[in-house]
Parts: sequence; structure tokens; C-alpha cells
Amino acid sequence: MGELIDKLIFTVIAAVILLVIALLHVAYLTYAERKIIARMQQRLGPNRVGPRGLLQPIADMLKLLTKEDIVPYGVDKPIFYIAPFISLVCAGTGVALIPLWEKFVLSNINVGLLFILALSSLSAYGVILSGWASNSRYAFLGGLRASAQVVSYEIAMSLALLSVVLMAGSLNLMDIVKAQINSPYKIYLIPQIIAFFVFIISAIAECNRVPFDLPEAETELVAGYFVEYSAMRFAIFYLAEYFGMVVMSALAVTCFLGGWIGPFEVPYIPFFWFLIKLYFILFVYIWVRATLPRYRYDQLMGLGWKVLIPVAIVNLFLTAFLKLIV
Amino acid sequence: MNWDLVIFYYLAIAMIFSSVFAIFSRHPVYTVLLVLVMIVHQAFLLLTLGAEFLTAVQIIVYAGAILVLFLFVVYLINLRKETKKNIFIRKVSLITIVFLLFGALLVKNLLILISLKPSFKAYLPFNVEEKSNVWWIANYLFKNYLLQFEIIGVILLVAILGAVFLIRKVKTAE
Repeated sequence: MGELIDKLIFTVIAAVILLVIALLHVAYLTYAERKIIARMQQRLGPNRVGPRGLLQPIADMLKLLTKEDIVPYGVDKPIFYIAPFISLVCAGTGVALIPLWEKFVLSNINVGLLFILALSSLSAYGVILSGWASNSRYAFLGGLRASAQVVSYEIAMSLALLSVVLMAGSLNLMDIVKAQINSPYKIYLIPQIIAFFVFIISAIAECNRVPFDLPEAETELVAGYFVEYSAMRFAIFYLAEYFGMVVMSALAVTCFLGGWIGPFEVPYIPFFWFLIKLYFILFVYIWVRATLPRYRYDQLMGLGWKVLIPVAIVNLFLTAFLKLIV
Repeated sequence: MNWDLVIFYYLAIAMIFSSVFAIFSRHPVYTVLLVLVMIVHQAFLLLTLGAEFLTAVQIIVYAGAILVLFLFVVYLINLRKETKKNIFIRKVSLITIVFLLFGALLVKNLLILISLKPSFKAYLPFNVEEKSNVWWIANYLFKNYLLQFEIIGVILLVAILGAVFLIRKVKTAE
């Protein structure tokens, strides 16, 4: 019993540390996004709060915490209250399953990859329910679009990840990284380049980011599913979106870029290469947002069903075929 | 204190109550949500048996895909009148008797289950500690039950083809 309690305490401490680090990353991801997009658009970005605007995320958080929490007339209250938390929990829990380092993974389960997919499919509920409960046309349309989009792109994403699973022969994320280290190219990016691109595109669509941000398209739906939310509940939706980005990027690093492995060991910072790769993928997300215009809805569905899914299936067959031969 | 049993009873009671409330709720969205609660608890019940793969698949397929489609349909059809009706069944009919019989059967089985005080993992047909349950499922599906598996695949394909045929636009000759 004592051993069990020790393990429990250790797990709780590790979880709290991981959560704090992840929250800091999410907060400064918003700052990085504003700064990078500002640079790309010949602006300065936030530069008033603190040196170079570094305290901006904290100021934003304080502002959102102290604002009035408005509940509009006619909303379905229980669902309206609970929807942001569904989004946040489903997006954030994935962090616990990512192996950051050989000796640091909070929860090393045999089907870790499937659990992350399950969580990402559950996070659609936050969007759909908030859209419905808000009792507003804009929010409702945003929720409908999100549900169709998430269900379609999930298939392409799972198929892309399945080819990685075939290569590694395991659904355990730790084993996938180890299999990559032992493979001839060290990372699966080179043999699975097609799957990587399919995964990145569907991950952007899963997170409702530009160019697939139709559920929250500002020009047509004001803000889509969270248009009626304010103050902290609005902030929770924001947090969930960025958490989703971080988890999807970390999954890409784990499954395609070799996790913590790097060209040489960096002393004292075992997470160094993992973080570098993570930041690069997050930068790509932001880069895409600054560069591309939004897709039309039929184009979005066409891309998902007529391009990504067939390409992923062909890639899966090729991988299985090569695996049989070699 | 047997934690396995405590967790099992929590999950079982939560599943029964969420299913019953799902039947009696007059609001379609709440019904779907209660079924979601039921399915998530069911997934965790599978997890207590060591079937992680089935847990994940249960959530991905039922909660992530099928129930989302249910919600989609509920949103698209107008059910305002339905939600205002209160009484479920007015007349005592054959259905009630069948329902009561079924309930009695369920209670009897539950009592048997309680008297067994089972250690749940002993009932598993295979050892999940030895090999991962993905391996076991693949082994059973592709060796012992290959024919049944293929037949299900064909049936599902027929269903898909039927759906495509139904929504197909018929081009009239002009």
C-alpha cells in the first residue's frame, strides 16, 4: 500500500509540473503567434507590456479572468457551462501520453496512439455542444461545420498514423520512437513523407486552424461556435485550441521526427531536440496561418475525402507491401 | 477493500442510470449526451479488464463518430413538439409486461453476479499481461474467425454501396 501511495504522489507531482510547463508553452504560443504574424505582415506586434511585450500573455489572462461572464438569454445553461471544459480536458489530456524523453512519460500505455486519437475525436463535442447550446445562428452553423470537418479529417489522420504503426509494429508511443531510432534513417519522415504531409494537413483541420478555420470564420460567422462566450469561458476555448495544436505537433514529433533523438547529445537538457522539433512544427502552423487564405467549404470536404483519404490509403497499402517484402 | 469491485460497481451503476435517464429524457440532445456518458463508462469497464485496445476503439468509433452523427441528425430535424410531450406510454400494454419480465431477468443475473464476487481478470479467455491485446484480437480475428470477419466486411460494403445508390443523382435524358 505504501508503495502505491508513493507512486501516486510521484505521478501527481509529475502531472502538475507537466501541466504548468504545458500551460506556459500555450500562453507563450499565443505571444509567438502574434509576434511572428506581425513580422510576416510588416507590423511590430505586441510591444507595450514588459520588454518586447513579453508579459502580454499574462496581461491577457488577467484581463480575461476579471471580465464579466455573460450568459445570454435563451441558452441551454448546463451544456453552455460544460462545453468549454469538455474541449479543454480532451485537448489537454493528450500531453500526458507523449513521451518527452526515454525516461519521462507520464502515462506509458500500450495503445497510447489510439488514446490520443480518441481524445481528439471527443474534443469535437465541446465545439458541437457549445454551438448548439448558445442558441445563436452563427454559433450553430460553426458547430455544424466543425462536426462534419472533424469527422472527415479524423479518418485521413488515422490512416496516416496507421502506416507509422505498421512500420513500428506497435501502438505504444515509446516503442514507436525506439523503433524509429533503430530504423535505417533514424526518423520516419523520410520513408513516410506522404503520411507526414497527410497528417500535418489533417492536424491543422482538426485544430480548426487557418486555412481550415471554417467553424470560426470571422468574415462569415463572426467567431463561429464560441461567439456567445465571454471572459473565462472564452479563454478556455482559446486554451483548448492551442493545447490541441501543441498535442498534435508533439504527436507529429513523436511519430515522424524521432521524438527526443538528435544528431548529438545536449548535456543536461534531455528534452532539447524534442522541444526544437516541437517549436519548428508550431512555427509551421503559424507560418501557414500568415500565408494561406481560407478554403471554401466544398473545397475543404473535397480535399479531405477525395485527396487526403485516397492518398493515405495508397500509402498504407504501399507500406504494408514493402513491409511484407523486406 | 477490493478496489476492483468498487470501480466495477461505480461503472455499472453509472451505466444503468445513464441508460435509464437516456430513455426517459424527452430532450433529444440530452439523450445523446447521456448515451455518451454510458459509452465512456462502458469503455472504462473494458479498461478494468485490461482491454485497452477495445477501450480506445469504443471511444473512437461510438463516441467519436456514431454519436457525433446522431447529434448532427438531431440538430437537423425539428423536434420541438416532441420535447413538450410528457407521458411516455399511456396504456399498460404487452410492452410493459415484457419490460417487467426482462427487468426481473436482469435483477436475477445481477444477484448471481454479486454472489460470485468475481476477480474479473480470471474470466478472460487469454492472458493480457503476456502479449498485448492488439496481438490477441488480431490473432483471433484473422485465424479463428477469419470467415465471419470477411462476411461482416462484405455486409458493410453492401451497406455503403446501398447508401451511395440511394443518394445518387439520376441523370434524366434531355
